[in-house]
Amino acid sequence: MTCPYLEYRGESGGKQFDHERAYCSAAERFVQPMRADICNDRYDLNHEEHCEIYREHTGEVES
Amino acid sequence: MSYEDYLAGDPLIVTAALTGGVHGKEANPNLPEMPEEIGRAAAAVEKAGAAVVHLHARQPNGERSFAAERFQEIDDAVRQHAADVIIQHSTGGTGAPDEDRHLPLRTDPPPEMASLDMGPLNRYDRLTSENTRGMVDALHEEMRDNGIKPEMEVFNDGHLNEVHGLLKRRELAHPVYATLIFGGGTLTRPRPRNLLNAISNLPDGTLFNTLAFGRHQLPLTTMGILLGGHIRVGLEDNVYYRKGELAVSNAQLVERVVRIASELGREVATPDQARDILNLQS
Repeated sequence: MTCPYLEYRGESGGKQFDHERAYCSAAERFVQPMRADICNDRYDLNHEEHCEIYREHTGEVES
Repeated sequence: MSYEDYLAGDPLIVTAALTGGVHGKEANPNLPEMPEEIGRAAAAVEKAGAAVVHLHARQPNGERSFAAERFQEIDDAVRQHAADVIIQHSTGGTGAPDEDRHLPLRTDPPPEMASLDMGPLNRYDRLTSENTRGMVDALHEEMRDNGIKPEMEVFNDGHLNEVHGLLKRRELAHPVYATLIFGGGTLTRPRPRNLLNAISNLPDGTLFNTLAFGRHQLPLTTMGILLGGHIRVGLEDNVYYRKGELAVSNAQLVERVVRIASELGREVATPDQARDILNLQS
């Protein structure tokens, strides 16, 4: 399962790309390619565990 | 390596880190991601004075690839545009399976050099690139068996211990080559005294390369030139030319350090001179 905040967009915020890239609708910005692997739950990565942006937006921030 | 080597005017090896594996065109649209772009960037940095290109692979959407086939496409493009430059593949890969980290070593021919991350480092808030000793040894073994020169990446002072430890565990071809890395987070704090300290704690005879992220790239690589070491610049490590001004190319960053080195009395090494200095097997 990929992150519910993950979208692929070709443009946003004045930035345009030839190929659609990973965009975080929670942070409202394109994400770094390394972070996109977390968004996509690739390898052993998991957005629920490894993404602080997801956790902040779903209230899973540790106190 | 030392200030005496600087005074002697030893040639300076400039490595250009063209792409990287963390940020991409979202950070600077001039960062090359596709094989043809990387090939042309390699030609431009070689013309500017770089002897080595440090390479990562990307998919068409900019996301990371570890596939040997993708590295092969990039190498083919680099050789088409810059036949003499030394190719150095990254074996880094935060979050990627260990077996995938070996794949960049399996092009035909293999890269002349490859990075070897010397220990753990944190990424973002909840991720760590482990780089266990077992992983370091396994990557080194495959490099050794294929005549690939390891470029040991020392992200912090603890990794200096790991360099000494690796030399106790395994026999490395001389000269040993280590990149001293400075920046935020887990990295050594980017301060001049920390570069001096790191150099003094390297095993005797080690050649060092200075890498610093962001605005620290220019001052610390300049120090590295003066201290007789080699340097790495490029958009992987720094997307700006100066504060608030994105770099227009990797070559722009190389051209600046080559100018500085020349003013300081060190000429840059050609790829063949670099091969001699590093004792590469090709």
